[in-house]
Formats: sequence, C-alpha cells, structure tokens
Amino acid sequence: MKKELLFSGIGGQGVITLGETLCDAAIKAGYNVTFVPFYGQEKRGGRTMCNIVISDGVESPIISEADIMLIFDERSLHDYQDLMSPDGTLIINSSMVQIEPTVECKDIRKVPFNDLAVEVGNAKTANVVAMGYIAKLLPEIPYEIIKEKVADSFAAKPKLIPVNMEAIQKGYEL
Amino acid sequence: MGEKVFMQGNQAMAESAIRAGCKLFFGYPITPSSEVPEYYANVMETRPEEGVMFIQAETEVAAFNMVAGACATGHRAMTATAGPGFDLGQEAMSYMSAADIPSVVVEVQRPGPGDGEILAAQGDYFSAVKGGGHGDYCNLVLAPYSVQEMCELMQEAFDLAQKYSNPVVLLTDATLAKMRESVELPGYKEAPDPKTVRNALTGCKGREPHKVVTCGDGAVQWEEFNLRLQEKYAKIAANEVRYQEYNMEDADIILVAYGSVARVCESAMKLAREEGIKVGMIRPISLWPFPNVAFEGKKGKKFLVVELSAGQMVQDVKLAVDDKKDVTFFGKLGGTTPSPKVVLEQIKKLV
Repeated sequence: MKKELLFSGIGGQGVITLGETLCDAAIKAGYNVTFVPFYGQEKRGGRTMCNIVISDGVESPIISEADIMLIFDERSLHDYQDLMSPDGTLIINSSMVQIEPTVECKDIRKVPFNDLAVEVGNAKTANVVAMGYIAKLLPEIPYEIIKEKVADSFAAKPKLIPVNMEAIQKGYEL
Repeated sequence: MGEKVFMQGNQAMAESAIRAGCKLFFGYPITPSSEVPEYYANVMETRPEEGVMFIQAETEVAAFNMVAGACATGHRAMTATAGPGFDLGQEAMSYMSAADIPSVVVEVQRPGPGDGEILAAQGDYFSAVKGGGHGDYCNLVLAPYSVQEMCELMQEAFDLAQKYSNPVVLLTDATLAKMRESVELPGYKEAPDPKTVRNALTGCKGREPHKVVTCGDGAVQWEEFNLRLQEKYAKIAANEVRYQEYNMEDADIILVAYGSVARVCESAMKLAREEGIKVGMIRPISLWPFPNVAFEGKKGKKFLVVELSAGQMVQDVKLAVDDKKDVTFFGKLGGTTPSPKVVLEQIKKLV
C-alpha cells in the first residue's frame, strides 16, 4: 500500500498537528511513514502545509499526487489543487472556502468542519472533526488507533479529551 | 541499536550526537537548524546525568570559535547552523583545517543568496565542499538522505574528525531537518579520553607542550606546511569515499543526486522502471572526497544530475565521467523540490 496525503491551511488551524497525529497512528498500525512540514516564518496566520506518505516501503517524502488532500483555506486550494490525483479525494473545508476548485478530480467533498466543531461545542476542534472524516477514508489504519493517538495528543490537557472524542466521532459518522 | 521512534531529523541527529559523546554544543539559532540547539538546551535541563553543556553564542562567528576551542582540548563539540551562519563560520573553518582541529559542523541548507526562504535547497555545496574560507583546505563532507542516515553519519562524523584531525561537515537540508520518519536511534558510544586525542591541549605536566598553531613562518615553511596538509587530504581521499549505487547492472540512464532530493529520485527511478525505462542511480554520500570511482567504466551511459541548485555538484560529476557530453542537469531553485513525477518527465526526455 502507498498513500500520498497533503494537508494545508493557515497557521493555528491545527493542520500540522492533525498530520503528526495521523502519522503516529499509521506507525502504530505498522506502516512506513514520512512527514514533511512546510511553513513560512510566521508563527500564526502564515502558510502551513504537510506532505505525508504512508507505505510499506521506502518512498520519496515529497509527494507527486495527493490521494487525499485536505484544504482548510482558499489560498491553500489555489496553491495546491494541481497536486491532486484525478482518482483521489479532495476534501474542502466549506466553512472557510467559498471559491470552487478548478482541478479535475472525481471525488470532491465539501465539509463545513468549523461549523461542525461549533455543533460539538468547541470551535477549536475543527481539525479533529476532519481527522474523523479522513479516518473513514483510510480503513488501513484502524479507527481505534487513530482515536487513541488523538487522546494521547491531549495528554497534557486531559479535560479536553471528551470533547475531542466527540469531535472525531462526528467527523467519522458524516 | 535499539528503540525505533518516529522522530524529526534535527532532533534524532542531536540525540545521536549526544550518544556519540558530544556533550558540548555551541550555537546561534537559525531556521531550519534551530531544533538542534533547542534539543541540547532541553537535554541539559531534563537529563543532567548526560553532562551536556549548551551555550548560545552571541553570533555564529563566536559559536564556531567556541567549537574550535573545545575541540582543541580533545573534547567532542559541535555547532549546527544554516547557510547564512555557515558563511560567518568560514574564518574558523579555515583556521581549524590549518590547525588540525577535529571539529564537527552541521549545515542545514536553505535557499539563498542573501537572506532566502527557509525551505530545502542545495546551493551551499560549493561553500561546504570547495572550502568557503581562504586557502587550500578540504572539509570532509557527508550528505545523509534519511533520518536514519543522519543519525549514523552524525556519530561517524566525530570518529572521522578525530581520526584525521580535520573538520567534518554534515551537509543536510531543510526537508531532512524538518521531516519526521521512523528511525532506530544508534546506541551510546564512549568518546575517547581527551588525553588520548592527538595534539589535544590537556595540560602539559610531565610531557612536552602541545601547540595548536598554523605555520606563521616564511614561504618555504608555509609550503612545507601546506604539503603536509595535502598529504592528509590524499589519505582521506584514498580511504573515505562513500556512495550508494542502485540498479546499475542494466541501467541506460543513471540519476545522480544527494540529500533529500535523492529520496525523490529513488521514487522516480521506481516509476521509470515500472514503465520499462532502465534507470539506475548513484548517490554520493561523501561529497568530499567525491566518489569519482563510481563513475568509472560507464562509457555510453546517460547521466541525469538532479540538484536543488543552479548546478553545483554537476561540475564534480562532469570531472568524474568519461565524456561530459553524457551529463544532463536538472535543478530546482528557491526552496522548491521536484516531485518524483517531475523527475520522471526529465528522465523521459533522455530516452
């Protein structure tokens, strides 16, 4: 198996954390994983993007075409949609992105992750809702492991674990 | 060897250095190398049993000279920096070469010239490999292409520096530095007792004083001094060439790449093979000494050199091949990296 993923958004949206957590789960599921973050000098508000390759062997950490692309803001769509595989799944955060994608891709999903996070009761969980949504597209990585790694990522703030478990379930059940 | 962890390149490399007995780190933070000083600072606080000492210098000029001073006493010490910091360290690099100081420097390449982005580039090949400072000297330059190899070469760098009393540069780039992947961390190694390190300043009670000097005499003496350095470089060139070959048995087209872009080329080679194009690869690991031997007896093959530069290593490839007309160059600039498919398109142009 080989999956190439690209997640992109604005600094502070949790796109990089989402990627790292998914990598932790994929490793636990026994895959070879590479994670390459790209970001500008800004701590918040700048570009944040990551390339993830989940495979059985050693592969280029730089992707050719995304099998799964997660887009959290309009600039990211503009910059990276050309890297979409025509057979892949393009997931657009419709709470933040109003423009239409121009890339030819059979499977485009528009999901209002920020609105769903508000429904869960914590606006900051939009990335975790997205994690649940992506988990459904990656049956190779057991959902239970992904949930466990999300919970681990809040080890320092255990009070936040229940709301995030609710958020991931919300995304998973969409 | 031991535990397998999912770790960032810079952090795994810093941990490996500590385990190689490099307890002294001097540096000035600069992206994309800053996780190395940060790691040392953190270990100094959280694992006092390691005996690690980190000093944040006022500039890279000072950091490189602190490394020179510490290594002159026979202790393992290093710094890590990016291109702009490496520039500032060149005076010390030249001096450490002349004075036989066994130092280790990590250079994480990012684009330039001048300021530049903080993404991956390979435009500092010349300054690391050809000697960015003045005079006839050579750094031993090692170029890893995975987090695993960063760890292994990091540990080896200290042994090589002390074996030849020469600076060693570990040349990485922003992709390798920032990427995370599975790595088996190398085990602890005992650093040699400083008293056993050649010419180390350890206090001269009961022996002749050691002197860490260059030449400081007339032209005749300077010539002798330089010839002695050249003898050392000839010995390194004869013994320390490293490279990896892939699919050479039947290859018509040979990719040549180092560092993170070699990972991209490895995948491009696989894609080409799936389409029936016979592609192989030579991956230099020691950039100086350059693996000329890998290019011998390859008459009639086509070479595609891929770099994140305007064409630097390609000059050494042209010197190493039988006919430089067989060499084609593909470079990307400014912090961009080609994907495997983009390299595949370049391969197809040669078919």
